[in-house]
Amino acid sequence: MGLDLKALCNREKTNLESFSSKIVAIDAYNAIYQFLSIIRGPDGLSLTDSRGRITSHITGLFYRNVNFLSLGIKPVYVFDGKPPSLKSAEIERRKQIKKDATIKFEKALTEGKYDEAKKYAQQTSILKDDMVEDSKRLLGLFGIPYIQAPSEGEATAANLTITGQAYASASQDFDSLLFGAKKLVRNFSNSGKRKLPNRNTTIEIEPEIIDLQKTLADLGLTREQLVDVGILIGTDFNPNGFERIGPKTALKVIKEHGKLEAIPQIQEKLEEIDYNQIRQIFLQPKIANVTEIKFGEIDFTGIVNYLSSERSFSRERVETSINRLKKSIEKKSHTLEQWFT
Amino acid sequence: MVFSAKTSGSDEWKAVISAISTLVEEATFEATGEGIAFRGMDPSHVALIDIAWPNSAFEKYECDNDVKFGVRIDEFSKLIKRADKKDSIEVSISEENLLLVTIGKNKKYKMRLIESSATDTPLPKISYNARIGVTSTEFDKILGDIQVVSEYLSISATASKAEFSGRGDSGEAVITLEKGMVEMPEIGVKEESTATYSLEYLNSIVKAVGTVAGTVICEYSTKMPLRLEFKVANIGRIHFYLAPRVES
Repeated sequence: MGLDLKALCNREKTNLESFSSKIVAIDAYNAIYQFLSIIRGPDGLSLTDSRGRITSHITGLFYRNVNFLSLGIKPVYVFDGKPPSLKSAEIERRKQIKKDATIKFEKALTEGKYDEAKKYAQQTSILKDDMVEDSKRLLGLFGIPYIQAPSEGEATAANLTITGQAYASASQDFDSLLFGAKKLVRNFSNSGKRKLPNRNTTIEIEPEIIDLQKTLADLGLTREQLVDVGILIGTDFNPNGFERIGPKTALKVIKEHGKLEAIPQIQEKLEEIDYNQIRQIFLQPKIANVTEIKFGEIDFTGIVNYLSSERSFSRERVETSINRLKKSIEKKSHTLEQWFT
Repeated sequence: MVFSAKTSGSDEWKAVISAISTLVEEATFEATGEGIAFRGMDPSHVALIDIAWPNSAFEKYECDNDVKFGVRIDEFSKLIKRADKKDSIEVSISEENLLLVTIGKNKKYKMRLIESSATDTPLPKISYNARIGVTSTEFDKILGDIQVVSEYLSISATASKAEFSGRGDSGEAVITLEKGMVEMPEIGVKEESTATYSLEYLNSIVKAVGTVAGTVICEYSTKMPLRLEFKVANIGRIHFYLAPRVES
């Protein structure tokens, strides 16, 4: 899933505080999927409200955004639209994984193997339309803007960094770089120990920032060539990539030959792939044209009522977080800019 | 191109550098025939420092072509700290574009310059309704007094008195200075004004330059930025601008 460019990128450690007062375009589906897979009870079951509706996604969004806004970060969420048709193979593959995991999960649960159940449960997360609606409703109460992308959300998020409307794009997927995101932030949450999905270990996770220009300069590639490197490794649109070509080999052959068409050893396989269309998905993606990103007032009472009355959150815990947010907003100083003109 | 600036002691540079270091890690100075100037904001754009260091304040000053030079403040600071109080400091720029710093009679440093990424910073346009002069020792004390209970300092001024106050979870503090008290040599209020500022920023700038400045002039208006002026012997003036706290 996603593209593995980890080994090739210039990744710099950073911290959330350094994004204070900056607009960051967040890949909404990417974030929500994470919440759905990680935020689960000890038996691996999702959190639910009194009517049995899943609440893992809004739990994650609530705490994450309280944190962002407390630090003065200005998040804007970009939701996926219709995926490019080339993605259908990858989507099928993911569906199959979920089906298999669901069967294994139920089996483990009936056998009372909870650790195992939880491991499989994390692979079963399905993002349903009503969860998207829940998420948008909660963001609206926070006064946080969201954008509906026509196709891949990452493409629109990347474009916001190109137009200068956002400082960076936040996603776990390296695809953002192929879409041209000037700066990509990964692990865009508080640093700390995080449980690895599917494994019973924790690792230290810190936000990291990848600068596209720096990465390209370090690698000695153009963005077009980076897309070709991506196609060799395997993207969502050709998930299998090329046999025996990993990140390092991909980089080497593109540097040597310049582009996919000029690499002799892959020509036969290349014919099977619609690589020109994949290039176009990354280089001329369908994007939403955003004229203005507007942040609204925070509806504190609205948030508390929605979460506690409608979604069975503990009112006390929601209020504690909301009070913390109120306090840190009060603490803020203005910036001098408004007096410059 | 000739540029060289010599101070008779080292306190001047130490004060300038410690003032700048409260806000930024890299600084670009601009030398002209008039003197050396610096202007910069902290990364969150809450505070701004504007320094005007006129040629007359130097023991010797030459500059026949305007020149900008950028330094890493931590590197420059370490180097200046090697000077004793009475050591003269002479700064110039070499042909290979290094900063030459001569300390006292016999110490010569060459330091790398950095490319300045700084853009021209404007100054806030504000008319100040209140102007209060407080001795720097008293001002430092007031900040300490308020900090016991609060992270913020509120200033209220009327024609006859200035009130410095703070409020926090544990309680409140008020320090009142009446017109005519030696601690407050000056008060001029066009309009009664009240505003609140972060103590964190105030503390660090006052610790950095307050000790070498005799009096601190505070100028502000209701819910507007504060301007502190430190008059430092042999530097001229350091202006420190601070945006007010967002009030709910």
